[in-house]
Amino acid sequence: MAARPKILIVDDNTDYLFTMETFLSRNGFDTVTAEDGKKGYELALKEKPDLILLDIMMEGLFSGFQFCKKKLADPELQDVPVIGISGLGDELGVDTEKYKFIKKYFSPETFFEKPVDKEKLLAKIKELIGT
Amino acid sequence: MNKIGCPADNRKIVSPETTVKSAGTDTRISETFAELGYKTIIDLLPSYISIQDHSLRILFVNQTFKNDFGNGVGELCHVVYKKSEERCANCPVQKTFSDKRVHLSEETVRLSNGEFSQVIVYSAPITDISGNVVAVMEMATNITRVKEMQKELAILGQSFAMLSHDIKNILEGLQGGAYVVDEGLKDKDPELTRKGWEVVKKNITEISIVVQNILYSAKKRKPRHERVSPDSLAREVVYLLEEKAKSLNVQLRCSCNPSLPQVLVDPASIKRMLCNLIGNAIEACKLDKEKDTHTVTVRADFYDRTHFAFEVEDDGVGMDECTKSNLFKGFFSTKGCNGTGLGLLVVDKIIKEHGGRIEVLTTPGKGSTFRVIFKIQ
Repeated sequence: MAARPKILIVDDNTDYLFTMETFLSRNGFDTVTAEDGKKGYELALKEKPDLILLDIMMEGLFSGFQFCKKKLADPELQDVPVIGISGLGDELGVDTEKYKFIKKYFSPETFFEKPVDKEKLLAKIKELIGT
Repeated sequence: MNKIGCPADNRKIVSPETTVKSAGTDTRISETFAELGYKTIIDLLPSYISIQDHSLRILFVNQTFKNDFGNGVGELCHVVYKKSEERCANCPVQKTFSDKRVHLSEETVRLSNGEFSQVIVYSAPITDISGNVVAVMEMATNITRVKEMQKELAILGQSFAMLSHDIKNILEGLQGGAYVVDEGLKDKDPELTRKGWEVVKKNITEISIVVQNILYSAKKRKPRHERVSPDSLAREVVYLLEEKAKSLNVQLRCSCNPSLPQVLVDPASIKRMLCNLIGNAIEACKLDKEKDTHTVTVRADFYDRTHFAFEVEDDGVGMDECTKSNLFKGFFSTKGCNGTGLGLLVVDKIIKEHGGRIEVLTTPGKGSTFRVIFKIQ
């Protein structure tokens, strides 16, 4: 049996980690989770996931943006696709059209707003991983 | 100079911007105009009107100007308006002198009584028959109230953005929890169903807190005072937040002095206040990554012979001076994605309604204590 693709979920909301873990594991993926960007990055290097699901507005110094910036310069991780998740979206101006630095990290199709449409997310994950 | 302070040869002055047209066919209005005279009408205008020369020396002012800034004629515009020897950086009068056009700027001025006002200033040229600008008329309208409303609207907009974000996160929790419950039921897995249901319940508590805070901050609610025991109020709130604390590995303790008498307070407000303070304390523990487990202690005890206090102590991240000084400003939140900033605003409102006061003791990296002191009535 072929190995299941592995997804790293990084989010400081433990409810979200648990529900997303349940959802992905029931849809054919293995999951590893981290509650902050720093731990997430360490886990990414250790586990070599096929895809990263990343909350971009985590508390603390190591936010989703810092995660992406570091990852882009890291030969070990730069090719791993990232899907950005946020609850802030347009209200506070996190607008992929307006802010080019977000575009650098996420194309509009790989940036999801909470509450996440799970079916669309699943389709995007499959497309990026190529399953 | 004639009596309104204009140059003596003002018969030659043509001012298209200040021409008052006839009031049409209504002769009564025209007669009233004629009786009042333009000088009186200019005096009655609810704007500060002044005419200035090249050196910004005031030649004429209307009565509204005199009421708020004194006579001013013969003095420099910036001295009268701003009590400053320096010209304004964006002076519209100077611009009008150089290009003969109408200009506009927003300025903060200081009235004779020492108060500051914000004004919107228009400048218009007064030209002679050859088209040379001989003076500039400046009309400044007080927009302080408009500016205050703008600020309130900005805060309101910001609050909607933060609330909307908070609600989105809760929705995510509700939807995610419901999904897990569904999966648990489908698989006849009671453990998974229970875990999903816990997520749903926790998010129901969260949404009730957010909604009640919105109501408390928006509505003018008359407090309903009753005699209650501070101990029972604290215990009720601790019970409500136990689930949330447990899920974040925070031990929630309640330690109240049983000899405290019953006190006259609005129980619903005090519970709301404690809920926000304890909720914040739990969040402060969550932010602290240095320890695996944390403790939040809620106390109710005598403060002195005539006062009692509620105390909420946590061993979470603590705060620096900057955070502490911004605590009670509307919609200031240190909780990033997990805070609307509304909680402490509501706390502040409730304390004021009860004639109490708050003390905040905090050390970065060690934790914080919020102590609310009320008179025993």
